[in-house]
Amino acid sequence: MICEILSRLLALCAIACVARAGSTLQDARDFEEKVSILLKEESETPKCFAEGRKDFTCFWEEDEERAGSVDQYSFTYTYQNENSSRCPLRAVPTAGGKMLFVCHLNRIPMFVQMDIQVHREGILIHNRSLLIELVFLLDPPANVTVSSTGQQGQLNVTWVPPPLKYMDDSMMYEVFYSLADSHIGKVEVARARSEYILRGLQSSRKYKVQVRVKLDGVSYNGYWSAWSDPVFMETLPAEFDPLIISLTLIISFIFIVLCLAMLLSHHRFLIKKIWPAIPTPDSKFQGLFTIYGGNFQEWLGQTNGSLWLTPAFIYSEECPSPLEVLSELSLCPSMPSPPLPPKASRALSAVRNEGRELRNGLEERALLVRDNLDGKTDGERAAPHHHLLLDRLRALHQHQVPCSQSSLLESQDTYVTLSANNNSDDERVDRNLEEALPLEAPFPSGNTALCESHSDLGSAPQSSGSGCISSQSSFEYPNHAWMAKGPGYTYMAVADSGVSMDYSPMSRVDENGKVPVYTNEYKNAIPAHRKPFLVRQYPVHDDG
Amino acid sequence: MGNRRTYGPNREDPVRGYADAAMEFPRLLALLLLVLDWTQPGLSSPLRPICDLRVLNHFIQEARDAEGAMKSCREGCGLSQSVTVPQTTVDFDVWEKKNALEQAQEVQTGLWLLQQSLNTLQTSVTNTAMHSHIDNTIRNLLSINAVLRSLNIQEFTPPANATDLEGTWRVSLATELLQVHVNFLRGKVHLLLSSAQACKPDVS
Repeated sequence: MICEILSRLLALCAIACVARAGSTLQDARDFEEKVSILLKEESETPKCFAEGRKDFTCFWEEDEERAGSVDQYSFTYTYQNENSSRCPLRAVPTAGGKMLFVCHLNRIPMFVQMDIQVHREGILIHNRSLLIELVFLLDPPANVTVSSTGQQGQLNVTWVPPPLKYMDDSMMYEVFYSLADSHIGKVEVARARSEYILRGLQSSRKYKVQVRVKLDGVSYNGYWSAWSDPVFMETLPAEFDPLIISLTLIISFIFIVLCLAMLLSHHRFLIKKIWPAIPTPDSKFQGLFTIYGGNFQEWLGQTNGSLWLTPAFIYSEECPSPLEVLSELSLCPSMPSPPLPPKASRALSAVRNEGRELRNGLEERALLVRDNLDGKTDGERAAPHHHLLLDRLRALHQHQVPCSQSSLLESQDTYVTLSANNNSDDERVDRNLEEALPLEAPFPSGNTALCESHSDLGSAPQSSGSGCISSQSSFEYPNHAWMAKGPGYTYMAVADSGVSMDYSPMSRVDENGKVPVYTNEYKNAIPAHRKPFLVRQYPVHDDG
Repeated sequence: MGNRRTYGPNREDPVRGYADAAMEFPRLLALLLLVLDWTQPGLSSPLRPICDLRVLNHFIQEARDAEGAMKSCREGCGLSQSVTVPQTTVDFDVWEKKNALEQAQEVQTGLWLLQQSLNTLQTSVTNTAMHSHIDNTIRNLLSINAVLRSLNIQEFTPPANATDLEGTWRVSLATELLQVHVNFLRGKVHLLLSSAQACKPDVS
């Protein structure tokens, strides 16, 4: 039993020793920390600080090599109007090869001047006068607590002030706060209170908070204490402010309404840009796709091709006449022709091209031919033939479709001349022809009645011995207007209706005087204003 | 009843009765009391306690300014004679052992001594700049007395032989005098005001 008691006592002693050692160790650490602070802050020697109402410490530092033993030094202090006293010193070695000589006093009268003198072997080495209440170096505030205030971006920091009576109202604090992962922070000052609310913090972030204390310097003064141990705390997450949400919704709604209004006011423009309309030919061909289902021939027959064909250009099939197409005049400047079916367009283009090539040559020759014809007795002999032609033309002209109009003469129509050729006159005609032939030699001749009508000036397409009705007259005309030159010229306008005549010789003519007529109607569109084209006649073999 | 007027039979002119004549004196008395109350000098109600120590801090700052000015003064800034000043030493253990009354008396005695010393300094100093500081310091001492009165601290007049009492020092330099003045304000006066019962919240 005694052994048990002894063992328990030993255990208790061991615990006490450990606790004391721990506190001593902590005190030592605190002392070292304060020493380091004072070594930085205070310039006078010895450096003194008061930790409370009953703890006053003075020390000075010397190199370990030059420092003597503690006995060599004496620390003497004298209060005002009092006798001096000595303070026992102790030597404390520090890291870095330094030696500290420390004086500690427990009784410290304040508000009275204190004179300190340090002697080493009788020699004054340090001297200082101070007021103890002006050199306070307190411990950092204890129990620093950081909590949430319940509001966004705020933290409440509370601490326990140093336990110094009569000095609570004279203390000032600094609160340092920063993000947990940052070293840059802000410092806030609080006077004579033990809590502070941090504002303007970021939401859902971890913050580090530290506090230190110092006396305000009016009645008491001192140095800033060390920073307290950091305390970490996370702020509240961001909340949706109903006011901000409602304002955001209202503004977005107004924006959407404005966009819709703008779109609706410019919808036509936008549709045209985004979804342009593909042009269709419906507007040009009324009823073609709706009634006739795209059958152009039917539509053309029903509507008479009203858009493309003018009555003036249509000659009925019942107007046959012995015609020889000599040339084509292009009185009007070339006009854009509407689209034609492929065959007709190709034919017209071919004729057009050939006509242009031969135009220039024909002009000069036509003039010569005319002059030749006019100035010759043969021409005089040919005059009665001309009169006969005129009569026939007049007679035929009366049977013409009334649709022929004078305006035809201004268009690019085919102009033909009629010449009466009797068999008896053939030789004369031939002679005339031969006289004029050299000028017209370039023109093809042959058995085949391949008569080509050329544009512009008409020259006589010849074919020796063939059945082309030669024209004994040629003509010239100005570029723009075609005017009758007189009785010497016989003109007749023929619509470009695609009529192809059988230009066989007169022997081909029936006894009745009828000339077989072959017609080829172009059912496709025929341009109202056509360019000169070369109508290629079908070869007709004349066995007559 | 006393105010009822008695009308005559003709109801033409009111007839003053006996009751009306009897009310004349109380009315005059009431009127006189009212007038006297307005014209009465002095405070009719107790002072509000001045518990804000910033007032004392202001006085301490001005005392420091005076001390600094005196340290830089070269001529005409000396005491003609040594004066008695209160001791400024504060031993917290000793201070706490004293009761409130003793503390108050000690403070008031010290203030009285300082006032006497500053008056002597004022007559000794010839520097005009220091005169303003000393005058300001004397006024501040009177204001501190007023603050003590506001805290319901019983006014104490030291005896004539206060200069011989314990707890006093003799100083002969003007700088020492002003230094003592500053230390006294920062020490004992500050302790007294900070622990004044009138400023403590009521403990129920």
